[in-house]
Amino acid sequence: MAGPGSATSLESLLMKRSLGDHELMAASDAAPDYAILPDASVVKIGGQSLIDRGRTAVYPVVEELVEIKRTHQILIGTGGGTRARHVYSVAAELGLPTGVLTEVGAAVAGQNAKMLGCLMARYGVPVVGHEAFGALPLYLSECRAAIFPGMPPYDMWQQVPAEGVLPPYRTDAGCYLVAEVYGCRSMIFVKDEDGLYTANPKTDPSATLIPRITVDELIALDLPDVIVERPLLDLMRRARHVTSVQVVNGLKPGLITRALAGEHVGTIISTA
Amino acid sequence: MTTPPPPPGPSFAVKDVPSALMRQTLLDRELVRPIDRPVMRLLPWLNVVVLGGRSIIDRGREAVGPVVDELRAVMSEHRLLILTGPGIRARHVLSVGLDLGLPTGVLAGLASTEAEQNGHLVAALLAAEGVSYLQHTTIAHQLAVHLSASRAVVSNGYPPYGLYEFPPEVGKIPPHRTDSGAFLIADAYGAARAVYAKDVDGVFTSDPAVEGGTPEFISRVSVAELLGMNLATLPVDLMVLELMARAKHVREIQIVNGLVPGNIAKALRGEHVGTIIHA
Repeated sequence: MAGPGSATSLESLLMKRSLGDHELMAASDAAPDYAILPDASVVKIGGQSLIDRGRTAVYPVVEELVEIKRTHQILIGTGGGTRARHVYSVAAELGLPTGVLTEVGAAVAGQNAKMLGCLMARYGVPVVGHEAFGALPLYLSECRAAIFPGMPPYDMWQQVPAEGVLPPYRTDAGCYLVAEVYGCRSMIFVKDEDGLYTANPKTDPSATLIPRITVDELIALDLPDVIVERPLLDLMRRARHVTSVQVVNGLKPGLITRALAGEHVGTIISTA
Repeated sequence: MTTPPPPPGPSFAVKDVPSALMRQTLLDRELVRPIDRPVMRLLPWLNVVVLGGRSIIDRGREAVGPVVDELRAVMSEHRLLILTGPGIRARHVLSVGLDLGLPTGVLAGLASTEAEQNGHLVAALLAAEGVSYLQHTTIAHQLAVHLSASRAVVSNGYPPYGLYEFPPEVGKIPPHRTDSGAFLIADAYGAARAVYAKDVDGVFTSDPAVEGGTPEFISRVSVAELLGMNLATLPVDLMVLELMARAKHVREIQIVNGLVPGNIAKALRGEHVGTIIHA
């Protein structure tokens, strides 16, 4: 007789029970975890924090990414930024639902991916939409990098927030989920601050840097403002591959490189 | 819209687009509140009908035939978005995928394919009535024109989460499935009704197939009450209840026995023939 969690018992539960069955979910937990792209890292380039600043911020980051891809496989995700904020506020004021905001916001991350793609084209780096992710392994092996728009493809099926209409799962969550589903070796969020602060350092001068924190501690702190999307923390709690992420300052040259080399140069958020 | 205050520092002003959310992280709850408005119903005449994969479609001609006849008849009264579940083939592909060690996001895409195939079957049966299967992207962007040209369309009940599916709290089974996908799209469009056709009369206090005992039928129940009962099995995915609590428009769903002729049509007319779960 097969014990709990064995393939036989999982198989019979799958055939007999509802997919929400507790025993079935527990049995599926014992399934092995195969990392699909274990040598790749996901690097998310912030929209508002970097790309909206134009070439003074973006050119040095592109140079650094080009240098990094000599030794690392990188999937470069893009954020939205100030245009996403504009279209969210217009759409919200018109009374449109979260699903519509998600669609129009996704286009902004797409524009940012296109612009970054133009700057990296001469180095052979393609822009790849999620519908073409099947070709990512080829791009990674041939040129060690690919750019993708960071917004997840939830469209009209985006979950609605408890309050308001802003899409809760945006480009931080989208980039993180790419890293998690492919079993990537690291996830770096490139922003314009040295990491996570106790408050927004742009508006609160008393904010202090938190160099390292666990997901549970960060949720418990319930900070008024955070540098990563809050739902990302819940996703991380459930991670099977990417249990730690680092937020680094992309305005300071060299930090993305050092973070990918495993150095602690920003804020590390981890599940334990 | 009111003009936001000027930026605090010199480095930000250059390439900002003025908006109520300018320069925000969008994560400060107080700062995003001013843009809150009541959300409109995009398609207030829309009716969403969910056909269970295992409960209806896997039963073949005996079950699907009468359900399709019923949908054909009710189309003249209501404009329908018919969504299908994946059924037993999803269990098989999940079993193979889990054994191979594949992640939840890959499993979600594989299971979704089966729900789509069931949608193609149902659409084919209704093709003569002008009903087509529509892909997710068409549902998200051109549903209005399609439902102006035809009284009903069919699509995949699974939401288009695919590789971006959330890892579940426990295990690796994709958490967003037909029931929650259908609820999300119904709420996003501000649908008039969401009817779930299954192979049971609705919610019972226990599942005789699993636990034995004498089950009691629950005809009307709130999300909070139902969650409080902590039932071992429910005819809809638990996530639907969580989504209902936050939903903007769809405040109740009805679960009906689709194997009983007339139930789907009655539920669409607002009759109470199964279990109504309300927020």
